[in-house]
Parts: sequence; structure tokens; C-alpha cells
Amino acid sequence: MNVSLLYIEDDAEIGEWVCRDLTERGYQVDWQRSGERAAELAANCKLVILDVMLPGLDGFTVGQRLKKAYPELPILMLSARTSIDDKLEGLQFADDYLTKPFHPDELAARIEVLLRRSGSVASDVLELKHLSVYERENRIENRETGEEIILTGKQYQIFKFMLRHLGQILTKEQIYEGVWGEPYFDGDKTLMVHIRYLREKLERDPAAPEIIETIRGVGYRIKA
Amino acid sequence: MKTGKSGKFRGSLLSRYLLIMIIALLFIPVVFPAALIGYQFVNLNIIDPLYPAEPEQENPYASLRLERTWHQEAKRLKDKTPAQIDARLKELSQKYDKAAVFWVDGQGNLREPGGSKLDLPKQWGASDAMAFMKKYRESYGKFTVVAFIGDAESLGKGFMVIEVPKAVQSPRSDPLSGRTSYIVYLLILLMFLAFIAVSWMFFVNMRRRLLHLQHAMTVQGENGLPEPIQVKREDEIGQLENAFNGMVAKLGRSLKREREEEELRKRLIANLSHDLRTPLTVIRGHVHTLQKEPLSDRGQEMLKLTESKLGDLGGLIDNLLSYNLLTSGRYTLQPVQADVLRIVRESAAAWYPLWEKEGFEVDVSLQEEPLWWLVDIQWFRRILDNLFQNVLRHAHSGLYIGIATETDEGRTAIVISDRGQGMQSSSGGKGAGIGLAIVGFLTREMGLSMLIESSSQGTRVLLYPAGPNKPGLMIK
Repeated sequence: MNVSLLYIEDDAEIGEWVCRDLTERGYQVDWQRSGERAAELAANCKLVILDVMLPGLDGFTVGQRLKKAYPELPILMLSARTSIDDKLEGLQFADDYLTKPFHPDELAARIEVLLRRSGSVASDVLELKHLSVYERENRIENRETGEEIILTGKQYQIFKFMLRHLGQILTKEQIYEGVWGEPYFDGDKTLMVHIRYLREKLERDPAAPEIIETIRGVGYRIKA
Repeated sequence: MKTGKSGKFRGSLLSRYLLIMIIALLFIPVVFPAALIGYQFVNLNIIDPLYPAEPEQENPYASLRLERTWHQEAKRLKDKTPAQIDARLKELSQKYDKAAVFWVDGQGNLREPGGSKLDLPKQWGASDAMAFMKKYRESYGKFTVVAFIGDAESLGKGFMVIEVPKAVQSPRSDPLSGRTSYIVYLLILLMFLAFIAVSWMFFVNMRRRLLHLQHAMTVQGENGLPEPIQVKREDEIGQLENAFNGMVAKLGRSLKREREEEELRKRLIANLSHDLRTPLTVIRGHVHTLQKEPLSDRGQEMLKLTESKLGDLGGLIDNLLSYNLLTSGRYTLQPVQADVLRIVRESAAAWYPLWEKEGFEVDVSLQEEPLWWLVDIQWFRRILDNLFQNVLRHAHSGLYIGIATETDEGRTAIVISDRGQGMQSSSGGKGAGIGLAIVGFLTREMGLSMLIESSSQGTRVLLYPAGPNKPGLMIK
């Protein structure tokens, strides 16, 4: 994969461990002890992992500056502070937030989601059950039949939105608001209809969907 | 203190009010004489110059002057013949043309050299003189001077009389008397109006300042407190304004102190959190690394347990610190109308992978219609997180979580149920206390009620908007 990440952490032990863990997972990690050189180093990386409590410039300030300079660059905040005040303040610019002590798998999963969302790791092909999704070419192929699946505009938008949150459960409100960009009103069946059509095109058996999973009472998920 | 008070008496409202009351009481005894004095003043200085009559001493009809002159003339006529007396009296009657002049000679003959102006007998006896004198005394409108020729009765040369109407003597008094009362009334009216105006202004001024003060109390400045006001007068309202300013300053100071304390506490908690979590993270990192080492199954299991306890400890620290901040009143909730079912779904979506991993049966059956409650969204999530966490930690054996809405007596509750061993029994994962304490506190703060039904078959937690006089937390 060889995606480069900028990791800013002042604690030596944590830094060393995270650095090693992420390197093992195939990332190229540039670990900095302070945020002073963050702006110049961020130019060459795909994602920034930022600790909140840093000597000198604190994580929030560094993050806000980075976001201003590179609005597209995803920032993942790590905090040892309690969720009480940081979450509000931190998430205003940060794309995600993780509280210490975190599980390395959790960190890796969040990084993956962020990279996918920003389009940095749109791998050439994503294999989903019987489908091959070529995200860059906006092409979906059924490997079993070798046919290309053609989706309408909205269907494709919904599918793409869910792919960006691969593995995450999305509520119908989240999907609707993410795709349509308007507040969801209860009782609106539009999304259900679109998902039914989407399934008819994607699924082997639309009555027992494998790609777009229904989480009863909660929402939908495309499992990686 | 007393001297200070009496020193301020001069400028006080009380003194001004008393002054007005005294003026009101003294209205009759003071204002009427004052009006008369005012009239005199007006009369002398304004009206007199408008009627430039001859001065008093030059009025030949003035009583004393006339009397003196008449007696002098009579003396001078002592040795004169009746013809000469006639001639002189004629001159005099021409000089005093407004008066009637006649004389009676030694023989009692009436002589009127200046012409007849009065109805008099031609021949005067002693009785006639008496009758004339009587008539003269009875007449108020006339002034009469009688002098014997030679100014002595003994000469027997008769007497001379001059009779002047009183009006001629002081020519201005009569035409002015009507105007006098008019001016006095006008002055009294003016003073009365002035009194009303002064009392009105006194009251209006007081009212205006009180309203100003009231306005200043209701208007909020930038820090949420009223601004101090400028004290212009040191009377009672001025003192009130001073007291108000003092109060505002005190409030401002205590607010500042409170904010500083809040800031200090937040910083302390943040530092504490950081200091506790950093080593936990390091431990977790080492545990994770250790798991990759070749270990016995037992070793692996112990590491797994250690890892889960580390996660619990992290959550516990967060709850503990949050609880500290919340209950110390250093954190205020921001309730908004929100569809809580949406929040429940989003929260469940976040927890779902964990339940799935642990092999839980997840049963979510929420009503389709939104459920609008007045909640602080962030803290409502915290409530759910804590409840879900409790299920995972303490009701793991049931391998079930149910999230549902139930409507009873028109009230809709969110019900989170598990099939664990219940709260009374030991679930192997103690420490639900702090999490539940936070949930209890938050539900109370948001006006929600929480009912916990726990048995050995499982636990049901019901969340619903609190009715009046209902406790926030009930455990069955």
C-alpha cells in the first residue's frame, strides 16, 4: 500500500509502539515529537494522526492550521483527555477522534475509513462477494457473469456513499442526508425504494441480500 | 453614620419632599400675603410709571396742604374789605376749579364770588352754620375746610369755606381698585400653578430615575450582568444606584471567580485524565505487542483479559472525571428538541460491531415515528453508551440486547433489555456504580426518568420523560 502518514505524538513509548504497529500494517509513518514542522511535512502525506496534548503548540492549534492549509487532508485526533470538552472542540476540524487507551486495530480501522473517504486509497479494485468495484473508473462488474452493472445516478451515489463508510452501519437518516444533502423527514420512503432497486441490480438474490446488509432497526451496512 | 446621614439630608429626596409639603401647608398664610406684597411691588414699579400724575405734594387738593393754605388765606384777609375778599376768593376759586368756594360775611350774607356750585341759603344764621357743619360731617365723599376771616372768630368778619370732593384729592384710588383684586388673584393663581409644576417635576424626575434604574437592571452586558450606572445625585435614589453598582461589581467578581474555578477544575481534570491514560495506552501497546509473541493458550487468554480490563479502566476514568465535572456544577447541559430514536439508532450502529463480535443477539425494534425529547444530545449519547457498556460488561452471559420503544398510558419509553443475571447477582464485572450514577444524574438533569427492572432473568432499563414529582431514578 505504502501510504504515508504523518504522526505527531510527544510520548516516546506510545509513539514508538504506534509507529511500529502502523509500519507493520504497511503504512509509511513519519513520526514527529512536536507540531512545529507539521505544515511542511503534511504536504507529502495522505493522513495526519495528531495527539491533543503536545508541548509548545497544542494539537488543536496544529490541527486547525493544517486543516486551513490542506482542507482535503484527513486528520485523526488522539486524545488522552476526557471526552467531556475535547470532543466538541476537537471534532470541529478533525475528521475523527480516538480516545486513549485505544486498541491498535481500532486505530487501523479508523485510518482505513478516513483514507477511503478521502479517496487516497481508492485501490484499483474492491472485491465484494461476487462483485468487483473499480472505484476510479466508476465501474462495477459481476465476476460470475462478467457483466458490467449499470446504476442510475442516485443508486450510484448511495452505493458510493456506503462504500466510503465501508464496514460501518449507516442509519437511513445518515444515508439520506449524505446523498441528498437535505434533512431526512420521517416516513420518506424514497431511500427504501432506491435501496430495493439497488439490490435488484447488485445482489445475487435480492430477497437475501449479501452486499447491502440490513441491520434490523438500525440501518444498512456494506461489509468489507 | 448619623452625621453622615444628616449631612446628606440637604440633598435628599426627603428634604425636597418636606419642602414641597411645607409650601403646600403654608399656601394660605404665605401665598396670600406674598401675593399682596407682589401686588405692591408690581404697582409701584410697573403700574405707577404708566400713569405719570403729579406727585402727591404738588396736589393742591391734598387735605393738609389745603387746610393750611385756606387758613393762611383767611389770615391774610384780616383787614380787607368785603370787595377785596370777594376778589381774592374769586382768584382762589379759579385756582381750585374743582372745589366749591364761598364765604359768609359778618352780617351773615352768603357770597359766592367764584360762582354758585352748592345749594346754600343766601342768609346765614347761627343755625345755618350749624346745619352746614352737620351736613359736612355726615358727608364722606367731600372734604371741607372752614376758616374765619383773619383766622379768628373774635373779629366777627365771617368765615370762608372750601369744599373739595374726595375723589379730587386722590384721583387714582378709585379707578384702580377693581384691577387690584384682579392682579392679586392672578398672582395667587400663578403661585398655585408654580406649586403644581414644582411638585409635578419632583415626581416626574423621581419616576424617570427609577425607570432608568429599572432599565439598567434588566439590560444585560457582555458578561450576562447588568452594566453599572452613573450616579449623578447623592440622594436616596443615588444611594440605591450606588448599592446597585456595588451589587453588580460583587456579582461580576463572583462570576469571574466561578469561571476561574471552573477553568481550573477543567484543567485539573484534563491533566489528570492525560496522566492516567498515557500509561494505560503504553500498557495496552505492550500487551498488544506481547500477544504476537509465542505464548501458551493460558498466557494468551490472560493477555486478552488484561486488554479488556484496560478498556474498562479507560471508560471508568472517563466516567469518573465526567461525573466529577458534572456534579460539581462546572458543566452545563444544553438541551434541544431532538429525535432521540435517531440518536439511539446511531449509537446502536456504533456499538453493533462490538455486540456482533461478542456473539450477542441484537434486537432493535424502535417505532417508525420520531420521538421528540428535550435532551442534550452529547449527554444523551453518553447515557446510551453507559447503558450499552453495562449490558456488555455485566449481562454478557445473556448474549442478548434488546432496544425497543414501548408505549404505556400515552407515554413512550425507550427500553434497553438484556438477559443477564440481574443487578443483584454478581456478574463478574463489578463497577456499574459510576456508570449508572452518571446515567442517573444526566437523566435527572434532562428531566427524564429511568426505571430499572432487574431480576435473575435479566434487566430492563426504561427511559421516559419524567412526570411531575417523579424521581429520576427508580430501581425495582
